[in-house]
Amino acid sequence: MREAISARTQPQAVRKRKRSLRHDNLMGYLFISPWLIAFFAFTLLPIAASFLLAFTNYDVLNPNWKWVGLANFERMFMQDPRYLKSLQATFFYAFIAIPLRLVFALAVAMLLNTNRRGVSGYRAAYYAPSIVGGSVAVAVMWRQIFGADGLVNAVLGTDIAWLGNPNTAIWTLIILAVWQFGSPMLIFLAGLKQIPREFYEAAAIDGANSWQQFWRITLPLLTPIIFFNLVMQLISGFMVFTQAFIITGGAPLDTTLFYALYLYQRAFVSLQMGYASAMAWVLLALIAIMTALVFRSSSYWVFYGSQED
Amino acid sequence: MRSRLSVLVMLLMVVALVMSACAPAAAPGAAPAAEGDSAAPAADSGQKIELRIAWWGSQNRHDRTIAVIEQFEQLHPNIDVVYEFSGWDDHWTKMTTQAAGGNLPDIMQQDYARLEEWVSRGLLLPLDEYVADGTLNFANVSDTALAGGRLDGKLYGVNLGTNSMTVVIDADKLAEAGMEAPKPDWTFAEFEQFVTALHDKLGIYGFAGTLENEQLWKNIYLSLGEWVYNEDGSALGYEDDQPLIDYLSMVKRLQDAGVTPSAEERIAMRGKGVEDDKIVTGAAAATYVWSNQIVALANAAGEGRNFILVPMPRPAGGASANYLKPSMFFSITSQARQPKEAAMFIDFFTNNVEANTVLMAERGVPVSSEVRTALEPMLNTPQKQMFDYIASIESSVSPIPRPDVAGHANVINNVYWPLVMDPLFLGQQSVEDAVKVLREQANAVLSETASQ
Repeated sequence: MREAISARTQPQAVRKRKRSLRHDNLMGYLFISPWLIAFFAFTLLPIAASFLLAFTNYDVLNPNWKWVGLANFERMFMQDPRYLKSLQATFFYAFIAIPLRLVFALAVAMLLNTNRRGVSGYRAAYYAPSIVGGSVAVAVMWRQIFGADGLVNAVLGTDIAWLGNPNTAIWTLIILAVWQFGSPMLIFLAGLKQIPREFYEAAAIDGANSWQQFWRITLPLLTPIIFFNLVMQLISGFMVFTQAFIITGGAPLDTTLFYALYLYQRAFVSLQMGYASAMAWVLLALIAIMTALVFRSSSYWVFYGSQED
Repeated sequence: MRSRLSVLVMLLMVVALVMSACAPAAAPGAAPAAEGDSAAPAADSGQKIELRIAWWGSQNRHDRTIAVIEQFEQLHPNIDVVYEFSGWDDHWTKMTTQAAGGNLPDIMQQDYARLEEWVSRGLLLPLDEYVADGTLNFANVSDTALAGGRLDGKLYGVNLGTNSMTVVIDADKLAEAGMEAPKPDWTFAEFEQFVTALHDKLGIYGFAGTLENEQLWKNIYLSLGEWVYNEDGSALGYEDDQPLIDYLSMVKRLQDAGVTPSAEERIAMRGKGVEDDKIVTGAAAATYVWSNQIVALANAAGEGRNFILVPMPRPAGGASANYLKPSMFFSITSQARQPKEAAMFIDFFTNNVEANTVLMAERGVPVSSEVRTALEPMLNTPQKQMFDYIASIESSVSPIPRPDVAGHANVINNVYWPLVMDPLFLGQQSVEDAVKVLREQANAVLSETASQ
């Protein structure tokens, strides 16, 4: 009997603990519910809606919208010359601006990787552009700088319509992108600080010059950081919008019609929400593929110290 | 299982809480039912009526419109006017989103280019009822001034000002070149000679305005008694491409000769206002604007400048390339909660002299003759020029073309500029090819939009 009683009381204790656990869970969910609700209402639901809309010709105003199957996707690649131009512009931008920005970030990070007095001030100063760089204000300023009577023409003594010429317009945006090298620079700086001094001392004793030290020590040990930066920049690079929206508006000849900008135009100017939703999903796939490629390639060039063991 | 269930219940409760917190915003929805039953006495019930208005424009327009709204509120203490304003693009983004969400304002500023689309989708209210019962009083408004807001015999928008395109010539530059102002019925050939001579004699741009703008494409076919779109908006409305080929060849000649700014310069200028037009700084001798913009242009140019307004040039043998366009409308939306009060506000905006001395014809020449007479002595030079210009062309203009078709914005944004005009003037395709692309691609877009 006693055993039986104890056998009954024990589960009760467990149940009690369970209940209090359940209570804790409940409180937890309650506390994060504002975030959860916002997440469901403003992120998950729109994502699901856009997935469904991608197969319709929904255009906000017209009540007679219908299911069109894969027509939106077919149209993108078969019947929309501007879509192909936007792909071209985005890839051109990504493949030039991102490497340039990383090279620039690394160069500045190495310059700032010293223990001179006031170097933290420089670090802050060089980081500043990437805080303000994506902003509307800087884009407007950029438009002025490259305008007909802007700074660039005044300094060079030229009279070039930088923003109207199909050969130069995209470069003004690339320069702006490179100028925003701050966040990859900070990450590079942290990476540089991780490399033990002894490696350089040993190399110096062996007679390696600084160029050799850079190629044989700094770069290999920095590859995980480069890899991280590359992935982050790739993702943001494909989604570039503000700069082109304000500075060039996609002109001239759609050479600066970035994917996100064209998507916006189709969605909010032409109101073709169905088509724009389809474009958004293709963009997601594109970014996923590009990122996957970089990840796949990483085993060939990214050096993790642990692999040596 | 039970724990999951209770989480669900908890979440639902929280959702319900959040929803109920939002409820007051939806409460006014209950009001119109009560108000609709007893429209007139409701005004005395002491409860404030909320009237929502949205418009687009410049800061200048915002300031003037808000001042008039305050006048109206003083006159009707029981009405609380809530307003939202923005630039052109944002206005339409906002309005379409609100239309989809079923919470359009009572009054929205409408444009001739969009009116048909909005009416066809049942988003605007016919105003004839309020004209009949005298809430909207058009005793001093001519029927031609109202015609633009009428579709299928019903009035959907009240014209806020009359506008027409005009060539602006710098009078001092003209005198310096020793030339005469062109005749009002000048042709494109005369136009080409005129601006080329200005350029040759003065060494500045003869003409600064963007001649490949879609407005001028429309003007050509309007002048020839045709229209760019067909009746149901399923295709282009003209058969003969030759007038357009001739015109674009002229524009190309002017560009190549340096009479107008280069294509690159024009593209870089895109999206800027009349204040940035090259005529303002004296870098060009002529340009074109909508007649209400002459005020902003003259202001930007500063004191001591003199401008002449001339009608738009036309193709040889054509009628006037001008028409009187309602600059913009006020429309009452079908989702309006206070249509009666909205009509009262539009009437105030149209007929009240005091309100119009604040507005000062910023939206174009007022449609009410009484208002025009009252404003006459207060006008400054460019405003007076605008009034006189509209009065001078009134009898000779072409009839107003149909409102733009549903596919218009799509044609302009995705075909006209990127595939036709920019490649043409940047030297990547010939005039003949450009015109062919326009026909093919525009027809494709139009037939698709029309079939929806």
